[in-house]
Amino acid sequence: MAALIAILLLAVSCERKVDTLPLATYPTTADVFIDGFSSGLYYAAYGTSKVTAFSVDNNVKYKGTSSMRFEVPNAGDPNGSYAGGVFGTNPGRDLSGYNVLTFWAKASEPATIVEVGFGNDMGASKYKVTLTNLALNSNWMEFYIPIPAPSVLQQENGMFFYAAAPQNGKGYTFWIDELKFEKLGTIAHATFGILNGNDSVKNNVETGEEYQLSDFYATFNLPTGIDQKVGLASSYFTFTSSNPSVATVNEFGIVKTADTGSAFITAKVGNTDAKGSLTITVSGQSVAPTVPAPVPTIAADKVISLFSNAYTNVKVDTWNTHWLYSTAENQDIQIDGDDVIRYRNLNFVGIEFSSQTVDASAMVNFHIDLWTPDTTMNKTFKIMLIDFGANGVYGGGDDSESEVTVNSPPLATQNWISLNIPLSSFTGLLSKSHLAQLVLSGDLPTVYIDNVYFFNNGTTPTEPTTAAPVPTFSAANVLSVFSDSYSNVPGTDLNPPWGQTTVVSQVSIAGNNTLKYKGLNYQGIQLGSSQNVSAMNFVHLDYWSANSASLKVYLISPGPVEKPYVLTVPTSGWTSVDIPLSSFSPVDLSKVIQFKFDGNGDIFIDNIFFHN
Amino acid sequence: MKNNSKLIVSAAICSLLFIALSGCKKDDTQKLEQRNWELVWSDEFNGSAGELPDSAKWQFDIGNGPNNDGWGNAELEYYTNRPVNASIDSNGYLALTARSELYSGSAFTSARIKTMSLFEQSYGRFEARIKTPWGPGIWPAFWLLGSDVNTTGWPQCGEIDIMELRGQKPNIINGTLHGPGYSGAGGITKSFAFENARFDVDFHLFAVEWGEDYIDLFVDGTLYQQLTPDNVTGNWVFNHPFFIILNVAVGGNYVGYPTSQTPFPQTMLVDYVRVYKEVK
Repeated sequence: MAALIAILLLAVSCERKVDTLPLATYPTTADVFIDGFSSGLYYAAYGTSKVTAFSVDNNVKYKGTSSMRFEVPNAGDPNGSYAGGVFGTNPGRDLSGYNVLTFWAKASEPATIVEVGFGNDMGASKYKVTLTNLALNSNWMEFYIPIPAPSVLQQENGMFFYAAAPQNGKGYTFWIDELKFEKLGTIAHATFGILNGNDSVKNNVETGEEYQLSDFYATFNLPTGIDQKVGLASSYFTFTSSNPSVATVNEFGIVKTADTGSAFITAKVGNTDAKGSLTITVSGQSVAPTVPAPVPTIAADKVISLFSNAYTNVKVDTWNTHWLYSTAENQDIQIDGDDVIRYRNLNFVGIEFSSQTVDASAMVNFHIDLWTPDTTMNKTFKIMLIDFGANGVYGGGDDSESEVTVNSPPLATQNWISLNIPLSSFTGLLSKSHLAQLVLSGDLPTVYIDNVYFFNNGTTPTEPTTAAPVPTFSAANVLSVFSDSYSNVPGTDLNPPWGQTTVVSQVSIAGNNTLKYKGLNYQGIQLGSSQNVSAMNFVHLDYWSANSASLKVYLISPGPVEKPYVLTVPTSGWTSVDIPLSSFSPVDLSKVIQFKFDGNGDIFIDNIFFHN
Repeated sequence: MKNNSKLIVSAAICSLLFIALSGCKKDDTQKLEQRNWELVWSDEFNGSAGELPDSAKWQFDIGNGPNNDGWGNAELEYYTNRPVNASIDSNGYLALTARSELYSGSAFTSARIKTMSLFEQSYGRFEARIKTPWGPGIWPAFWLLGSDVNTTGWPQCGEIDIMELRGQKPNIINGTLHGPGYSGAGGITKSFAFENARFDVDFHLFAVEWGEDYIDLFVDGTLYQQLTPDNVTGNWVFNHPFFIILNVAVGGNYVGYPTSQTPFPQTMLVDYVRVYKEVK
């Protein structure tokens, strides 16, 4: 609850001559409200509540002459949309001789009170006990809120508290009467628990991390034979760590790790063991970059930045949406004064900037700096961009998304890598003008990221950042000319001297051998031997060009008989085509001897093969 | 308590018969002649942990009643002779445990043991030191049944309920006589209540002292019910041997049904059962 407005409705002072008492003890008054405020009792409504909700009712009562009346407002009441407050006493009372707070209650109609309890002293509330979801109806019923460990309540100020919300938007009234502390032999069989009684396990915790134990409770068997569960403050418990050199736990249930190893955290109330435990395994110090990511050099007016100390960043709603099934934890850290986001236990993480979508339609590249302590061999890191489309909001049939996979290399262990990914590589992204989400995923459990931005520095990418897609056709159905995935026709000349000016080379793109035609005018491929592909149906190839305006591919049989097929350029990332061989008619498919490309620009080609 | 075949006890009617006595205050006017008792039979349950009760002293009732109707009371449990339902515990107590588990078509299991044909006696003092289970719908009992039940039938055989408890009233036990003309809801019954304590927190001693023309019921040495042939509304059928039964029922017409808030498992612990004969 928020700030409190203390409303002193009644304060009957407890006139005791303190100097005549032999010891500084506190009153043991049991009554809280029988037919009026007991000695020293005051009422303070919660500041955000309807502060006039409570009154003394002299007509409705369970017993005696009056009761406590609570008028719960309707939802949206301008004076406060719920009822709630604290009944405290000054001085505090010694409740150690009691074991339960009892009262009678009813409501104008069936209603569930959010919470009631005692031990809320509007301060630390060290010994707070909370009974939630108190179900009332129009009959008076007796309720019990047991005291978990009476001996500690020697100076308690919090006699009673409550919070009640409208029921289906509608207000109602409830009454409480005969509110008092008692010592009942008919309350028995206390049990206690932490973490809701579960034996929890937390692995891969790093040295120096803190973990708050929670869900402290007690159950008591009531005079009606049923078990009553109440929530407790941590201070009722004493916590123990089996291995304090690994993890310590303080009186508030905060576990702090100190060294590598395992520790078993348990708790007691008095001499009674609490159900539930925490086994915490500390993996050691976190491995973090020792140097900051490279400082970006692109002029700020050519950048839309999501996260960078070098630029003014646009509004990002969250760097971790905690979507269902996401295990990612994020942490803001600094390296030499440079802000970095650390993700741990990353399976995938949603990053959202949907409240003000990003218009990156004038941008060309996506940049991110990445550092991982994890081994990157055969691992991937994936970057997905999601555009909410013209309506600017999720759904509506105009959303689009696309993901780019980064392999190793360029992924590297314990080194900053800078990825500049052409937005054209996000081939499924139909729009870049309402970008709203970024999703990072892959096989690296821990990554540090920095300098996440879109940019357009006036240059277009000169080569692919990712390898061509790995073909998935069975080798048995493939006759390959150029591919790392298959055995290629032996003796093939990738640069036959046909008088062309094209500069041919083989380059490694993300670890994959790729054919590069720089400054294409035309270019042939002389097969090592004549190939009969009449049993095949398609010729496949992957190609990439950021600057070509024209590109055709030809098959050639003796004669020469040749036929071009037009390829769409420039590409948005890699384009894969499977061209029906019938397109090349009248080329003799039983005697294919050459390929030829013509057009212009710089072209990257991979995975040239026939298949059916 | 009830017979094996018929009779439905209405909990509602029965509750009208409750007379909750306040606490352990002895009635100043109660007259109790000095009786000398000699121990003739006992089970101290001093076996090893996990053992079934001594088969020389006890036999099991198995199932949901001979007519599969919850022992004539619409009880929900299936009685077994498994150690998880009846065994000696590590403290030397007999533990009769009701469990929430599907078993032979029932939603609960429990145990009911009896000395029928192993030990039967007319008159004397029968006592057991018991810590009761608790929770709505839990119905522990320590009782005697006429050993001619299978020939004479119930209620002609007679029944002396020394202790019955409804788990939703863990501070109240009932002592009841059933016989012809005063059976089931018409049983001659009386309650004994703790004002500020429960029968499931500590052990308590439940006893009957029974002679030719009297039946006195005790809790922890306090006589709370004295009955003679003048007090019953039919024939006095307590002049032949009876045997002992200990059981924990789950649900039934006497106790109502367990709820989602009934804690399981629930165990009745029995420290000992002792039977005495009067020495004149």
